[in-house]
Amino acid sequence: MKRFPWESIPVLAIGIGLGLFYAWMVAPVRYINTIPNTLRADFKDQYRILISASYASTHDLTRAKSRLELLGQNDPVQALSAQAQRMLAAGQPLDVVQQVARLATDLQSSIAQSPPMAVTESTLDVEPPTATRPASVVETDTPQGGPAETPTPEIINTILPLETATPRPTHTPMATVGAPFILLSTDIVCKPNLTDGLMQISVIDSRRHQMPGVEIIITWDGGEEQFFTGLKSDQPAGYADYIMQTNVTYTVRIAESGTPVPNLSAPTCTDSSGQTYLGGLHLTFQQP
Amino acid sequence: MPRWLYSVIAISVGIGIGLFYGWEINPVQFVDTTPASMRADYRADYVLMIAEAFHTDQNADSAIRRLAVLGSSSPAELAAQALQTGQTIGYSSEDISMLQELTRALQAYQPAPSPMDTIQPTAAPKDSAQGESTP
Repeated sequence: MKRFPWESIPVLAIGIGLGLFYAWMVAPVRYINTIPNTLRADFKDQYRILISASYASTHDLTRAKSRLELLGQNDPVQALSAQAQRMLAAGQPLDVVQQVARLATDLQSSIAQSPPMAVTESTLDVEPPTATRPASVVETDTPQGGPAETPTPEIINTILPLETATPRPTHTPMATVGAPFILLSTDIVCKPNLTDGLMQISVIDSRRHQMPGVEIIITWDGGEEQFFTGLKSDQPAGYADYIMQTNVTYTVRIAESGTPVPNLSAPTCTDSSGQTYLGGLHLTFQQP
Repeated sequence: MPRWLYSVIAISVGIGIGLFYGWEINPVQFVDTTPASMRADYRADYVLMIAEAFHTDQNADSAIRRLAVLGSSSPAELAAQALQTGQTIGYSSEDISMLQELTRALQAYQPAPSPMDTIQPTAAPKDSAQGESTP
């Protein structure tokens, strides 16, 4: 039986070393023709901001949805909401945060936000035929063996239904930027298992959809604090809360615009055994 | 069999095992890439999003900041490349016009002068350099 050729092992090691030197130093890997779902997390955030900004301009929910799918997120709504919360916490510009939150809200409800006010019925009347409506990004499979085996965004002309270019017979009242919020209800909450003195605030729009990223200002004698809706991942997007102290009277208002709601204080509740505890309040604001 | 042949066989087998492992069992996964490395059609769509936002806000500074992640070319060149790609792959006329609008705006863009640029140097008093002669 012949012996194992041990002298080949160093030759193999030298070969591997040369290969690695070439691969890492002479001709290192350069990523080209990549797809959006391989982007680094911060670039994906930028991508979502861009999709939101574009959506704020075009109000094309289908296209925004297609673009979000390119990022490979299982739940784009959750990804957008979480990003809006992170951006709020990081103190990024509120208008940008609101664009992201708005897209999340519209995706959740699958209703595109209202077109810009400048688009009037007369504008629609002079629009060209529907064949020239905006293109949509759709995913088509590229042939196997092509430059990439991933879905390619292809821009196609979409023939939209005729009614998209026809003025609607009735207009649903939409939230107007800057329209004052109104206090819809104030409820006393007596639940022993709830945090003492918890003030819960819900902010909804005219369609009763939750509104994340709304700044709320709470003031009391000698103090003031701001907080935002949508920062609690286990609560609806338009939810925020604040813990009230005993014997302190608060005034709450929506920062953007809204009438202050004064004289708010934690109520006293009684449990089944007759013991008293600090109850909570639930305020609901709506933008008409 | 000559001894050198063992070495050649060892290297060949090693390379074969390495390629099989690298291509079949554990192929390269692209992660943490940058927008600059995206395929041309994705880059064009990225620029189109910027153009769509620009169409509404007309904020060239913001558009330039957003384009910066696409590479070291000038913003106008990046927009022009996207326009060319869009025309090649059949963007709608509306999308093309938005890309054209962005390209034109970036080609004509003049950065706002910084505060330092607007400060005019104060002329020194004529006589201060020499000093006044006293009688």
